[in-house]
Amino acid sequence: MSVESLVDPESAAKVGTVVAVAAGEVCRRDWQRWAAAVGDHNPLWFDSDYARGYGYRDIICPPLYLQYAILGVVALGALRPDGSSGAVTGSMAFPKAPRRMAGGESTTFHLPAYHGDEVEMTRTVESIVEKEGRSGRFVLVTWRAEYRNQHRELLAEATTSMIARPA
Amino acid sequence: MSPTSSADPTREETQPHYEDVESGDEIPVLSVSVDETQMFFFSAATYNGHRIHYDKDWARDTEGYDNVLVQGPLQAALLSRALTDWIGGAGRLVAFSVQNRAIAYPGQRLTFGGVITGKRADGLVDLDIYCMRGDEVLMPGTATVALPSKAAP
Repeated sequence: MSVESLVDPESAAKVGTVVAVAAGEVCRRDWQRWAAAVGDHNPLWFDSDYARGYGYRDIICPPLYLQYAILGVVALGALRPDGSSGAVTGSMAFPKAPRRMAGGESTTFHLPAYHGDEVEMTRTVESIVEKEGRSGRFVLVTWRAEYRNQHRELLAEATTSMIARPA
Repeated sequence: MSPTSSADPTREETQPHYEDVESGDEIPVLSVSVDETQMFFFSAATYNGHRIHYDKDWARDTEGYDNVLVQGPLQAALLSRALTDWIGGAGRLVAFSVQNRAIAYPGQRLTFGGVITGKRADGLVDLDIYCMRGDEVLMPGTATVALPSKAAP
């Protein structure tokens, strides 16, 4: 194929490597603020007696909140022009495909997280594939992240994807 | 995990069990119209500074949208809320997968739901899930939940 690849060699070399490691403490007030912003008042996230009634040792972190517990801190002056922090994405630039959009996310949850847990996320690049779609060529990048607690127990595994298109 | 006396009796009555559900069953639909206050609190709770969710000039002039956009992760969170509301305290969300297909603006009526596509051994139930605006699917996906059995655990 004579068409020049959209994927530069530097990005291609990252497949299979760890591109981001981030850690943070799971905090009940933070997950409760998140749940309140979703209008999600499930007593498993708020009521210890209720959660114990179902076999948990205390209230649990909502599964979808876990991904935010590991986010870092970015100075205002270090934000991107669009206001996003770029924190912990392990993101990659594709100079020949600069238009980026989120693809999707797929997560398997193994164990609940509790208040005070120290969670570490390790993100690897699973694949970078160039494809031909209805609106032309694009690059599909897939990352795989593992979330483990302070006992090295696997809490969740997440696959996320991004689509990058030529300008 | 069977409920004890401390569990909320009103929630206990609505606890679905593995034996009660069949392929084709729909879960209760959650209907939400997201406003800008909710979007602000969700951005704050997720450390999301992207201007596209609060800066109308940026959303229109730089990114080409008609207005600020409802966060994709908020759509996902509302969809998971529809699931965890349904499965009750004895249910467990095992897997959750969504694709971002279309954007939503504040003030639009969004519906979140799902339909059971299969039952597996050991209490696992598979679903197709969705966030819709009218007849348009904004966020399709799949989920797996574990439901308690009526038989002793």
